[in-house]
Amino acid sequence: MTPPTDAVLEVRSICKSFGGLKAVQEFNLTLPRGSLRGLIGPNGAGKTTVFNLLTGVYKPDVGSVVLGGREITGMRPFRIAGAGLSRTFQNIRLFGELSVLDNVRLGCHVRAQHGVFRSIVRTPFHRGEERAIEASARRLLGVVGLLGRADEQAKNLPYGDQRRLEIARALATEPRVLLLDEPAAGMNSQEKVALRALIQRLRKEFDATILLIEHDMGVVMDICERITVLDYGKTIAEGTPDEVQSNPAVIEAYLGADADAGSSHAASKGGR
Amino acid sequence: MEKFLQTLIDALAVGSLYALIALGYTMVYGILKFINFAHSDVFVLGAWTSFLVAVAAGWGDPQASAGAGREWVAWVLWAATIAAAVIAAFEYAAWKRRHPTDAFSLNRTRLAGSLVLVAAWGWAALGLAKMAGVVKAWGDNGLFSGLLILLCAMATCGLVGFVLERLAYKPLRKAPRLNVLITAIGVSLLLQNLGQLQAMFGTRPQRMPTLLPTDAPLATIANVKIMPVDVIGAATAVALMFLLDFLVHRTKFGRSMRAVSFNPTTASLMGIPVDRVISVTFVIGASLAAAAGFLYGQKYPGLNQTAAAVWVLLGLKAFVAAVVGGIGNIRGAMLGGVLIGLLEFFGAAYVSAAMRDVYVFSLLIVVLLVRPSGILGRPMVEKV
Amino acid sequence: MSTLRSRSVEMTPAALPTLVRSVWPLLVGVGVALALQFFAKPVIGDFYAKVLLDIGTSIILAVSLTMVNGFTGQFSIGHAAFMMVGGYVSGGIVYYGSLLAWGSADMAGGALSSMIDGREAPFLTWGDALFAGSLVAGGLVAAVCGYVVGLPSLRLKGDYLAIVTLGFGEIVRVLIQSQTSDVLYTVEEVKETAWYLMPTKVGGALGFSGLPFYSSLFWVFLGVAVTLLVAYRLKDSATGRAFLSIREDEIASEAMGVNTTQFKVRAFVIAAFFAGVAGGLFAHSIGVQLNPGELGFLKSFDIIIMVVLGGLGSISGAAIAAAIVTILPELLRNPEPLLKMWPVLAGLAAVLLVAAVVCAMTGRRARSLVAWMCIVLTLLGLGFGARAAAAAGHNLGDYRMILFALALILMMILRPQGLFGVREVWDRSLWKGIADSFRAPPKKGGTNK
Repeated sequence: MTPPTDAVLEVRSICKSFGGLKAVQEFNLTLPRGSLRGLIGPNGAGKTTVFNLLTGVYKPDVGSVVLGGREITGMRPFRIAGAGLSRTFQNIRLFGELSVLDNVRLGCHVRAQHGVFRSIVRTPFHRGEERAIEASARRLLGVVGLLGRADEQAKNLPYGDQRRLEIARALATEPRVLLLDEPAAGMNSQEKVALRALIQRLRKEFDATILLIEHDMGVVMDICERITVLDYGKTIAEGTPDEVQSNPAVIEAYLGADADAGSSHAASKGGR
Repeated sequence: MEKFLQTLIDALAVGSLYALIALGYTMVYGILKFINFAHSDVFVLGAWTSFLVAVAAGWGDPQASAGAGREWVAWVLWAATIAAAVIAAFEYAAWKRRHPTDAFSLNRTRLAGSLVLVAAWGWAALGLAKMAGVVKAWGDNGLFSGLLILLCAMATCGLVGFVLERLAYKPLRKAPRLNVLITAIGVSLLLQNLGQLQAMFGTRPQRMPTLLPTDAPLATIANVKIMPVDVIGAATAVALMFLLDFLVHRTKFGRSMRAVSFNPTTASLMGIPVDRVISVTFVIGASLAAAAGFLYGQKYPGLNQTAAAVWVLLGLKAFVAAVVGGIGNIRGAMLGGVLIGLLEFFGAAYVSAAMRDVYVFSLLIVVLLVRPSGILGRPMVEKV
Repeated sequence: MSTLRSRSVEMTPAALPTLVRSVWPLLVGVGVALALQFFAKPVIGDFYAKVLLDIGTSIILAVSLTMVNGFTGQFSIGHAAFMMVGGYVSGGIVYYGSLLAWGSADMAGGALSSMIDGREAPFLTWGDALFAGSLVAGGLVAAVCGYVVGLPSLRLKGDYLAIVTLGFGEIVRVLIQSQTSDVLYTVEEVKETAWYLMPTKVGGALGFSGLPFYSSLFWVFLGVAVTLLVAYRLKDSATGRAFLSIREDEIASEAMGVNTTQFKVRAFVIAAFFAGVAGGLFAHSIGVQLNPGELGFLKSFDIIIMVVLGGLGSISGAAIAAAIVTILPELLRNPEPLLKMWPVLAGLAAVLLVAAVVCAMTGRRARSLVAWMCIVLTLLGLGFGARAAAAAGHNLGDYRMILFALALILMMILRPQGLFGVREVWDRSLWKGIADSFRAPPKKGGTNK
């Protein structure tokens, strides 16, 4: 384990239940700066719930989330975004009627000094800020390869582009930790290759610390340093891709108790 | 004591009418998740229809209601026929979209079906009205003709509810809720202003003929006369509510209604004809509102023009009743109606009569802030 | 930590050019208002000057409501209440202020405030200052009310919020109607009465009569200019993007760091302010008697019709729709100007018809074309219908609400985003979108809903 001082995100045994359903139990996570962690598990294992707990959509019943040494448990989502935790959504949630550029510009919102009065009077600083926002939004669009479509409405983009736009929007908040919820879902193999390259590039250029939910085992096993496996809300394994692939509990979770097939099966099940 | 009793009687009589209207709001909200703003106008239509039928049957002062109510036979028939044609056209267009290659012949039954259904409906309403006339000429039995007039108003408004749903709301089944809400406001404005046309009800207030004796109280307690109109009105309202409750909770159709309100997509996968269920819901809601309109007219015979703000306020109070009781919950709507009636009348009698609307809306705001799901509303449980 | 901050400072332009760029649109607005007041009014005559005045007030109302209903996607149907609050505050200040200052509530304005031709007056007087101040005060009080109503939007969504705003409007109306007296203070009484007692005598159910007619084309269109400028600048800034993002997807907006509650309340407050100003202008308009009964939810519905027809979120759309909705009844009452245009309209309809037929024959979608053709033909039909009706002794103006209601329903079914959607008249993408809708149907898929 890395020393705690280096950890950007520390999750200490958070739990959440909905009625009788224990969606997440005793979830622990320590993300060192610059790391890339995978979060996998069968459908309904509680992966997205973990994201929702981290980003404040739900409040954890117990446990705490610490981001960069600052307690963010139970804060409202916008404060958590301000603290530096940003996410993409499994079921894409773009601002459909707005332009692609505006979607990313909105991501810059949280770092901006915007104010109603400044917007109306258009102070010099306001103008400078708008320019800076536009410049940084265009740069991010360039990174994800959407600069050419900046003025289109977001809802008119193809699926894969929408996923990449979500990543750009999340990056625009200048996050300490980026949570990606199934970024490869619905992408074809070519796009997946590009996505892998994109994620590697984010780590290099932006020093991004990433937590990744993904069903496509090819992507996960290839790029993640460590992987956490959830099943029925419980963490059943954690380790390097190789360790996880050979872990009997993981195979059981993916294939059922009496399965004796190898990890290649497990991989193919997840990849939709 | 006298004042208290009188207020209590009024509150219960009017509260049960609020409950009747609230049922329509609550059922539509339960299924389609939007406020049917036009519901209060259906209630007004019910009041005016029963006025026209009563006048046509021979009640009231023919001098006072000259002009109004003479040509109503013509317009009911016209409206029914036009509505039937338009609905048939819509049905055909929808069917054609689903089966672009099929020949026309297959759809003829369906087209004819809509026409026959709506036309028969119109004629049934007419027949009821004629019967009321015959009964009146025969023996002036207010109770019995009142029942016929009530049924006639319910049938007419049920038809209107059916037509509205098919024409205005059905094309928006998949649209955002805001759009449906705006459409509902549009429908409401349309009904209000159509009703003001000279060919419909005109812009002059009218006086509803009272069918029940106003000088013979059923009983007198502590100098407070209990009038037949209060008792019969409340009894009718309660009877209708029990009927509805039975329908929703004890019959197969009620089960489909609850299924659709729970999840329309799943319900349709289970073989429930969702469109038909929604149509019937609208028809039931509209007929209950019509009944409330008739009974309200009996208690307060001064009928305002259809676009008068008084009507909208009445409808809104009923909506508040639905929200207070827990929107989507049928028994909640009944409870809410009575509560709103009590609050309004006791507030008006003991605090300030001019502020009666303020109490109701303040209660609404408080309930929404403190317990948005209402008194009986439990999210996802027994929603209709 | 934020790199955006440091880059913003780097990119900040010099103060002086910024000042020029920030102020010139307002100066243009003042110029237009002056031109309307001193050059246009004598040309178009009293009747059309009054119509123009009403259009201006409607534009302020519609554009302000656009900020709530269009930008943030909250649905307020009690906008007339803010108008009422602003109108009464402004009216009370002007009426009792005039009594205190000059001993009578007669109009004491200068040429800027005059709607009457040939009235000898200095350019600006203290009366104008009182009036302008009362407008701002009315707006501010309305804004406070907007804050109070905006607070429930912390918890309520969609139609619930709509009902609360409507309830609020009714409460305000009933309070003014029933809790104020219709006997106004006289000059002598005013001098002895504490200022905080004055709101108790503002006309009650009978209405606040005797307000001087200060609202001139200048003041109204100055208000229009400010409203449009503020709305446009808000929309085209971080604040406006935050508003729109709430409307598009509240959860995503919150996840991106937008304090949705705060921005909703802000939208309510700004919209209420301008509605209050519009109320003040309305209260002092010629031929208007401020009456709570007239400013109930039916007035709110009028404003909603404008906003929805123009396109939820489009400032120019709301302004255009406000103008149409205000002019149309006048046109129906007196259809001659419309009929004079009939060759143009008929030609337009013919072109659209041909285009639609061509589209249909080549398998392209022609729905929007047909819709536009219907609009043009409707206008034409209305003109002829109004003339025929007038000949037969009817007044087609009585049918205006039926027309608007039908337009509202049809709009929701055929073009739910309104005439311009969220975009503005000058957005190229709008016209491109409309042109595209005539071409081959777009590919399915790729949408997020």
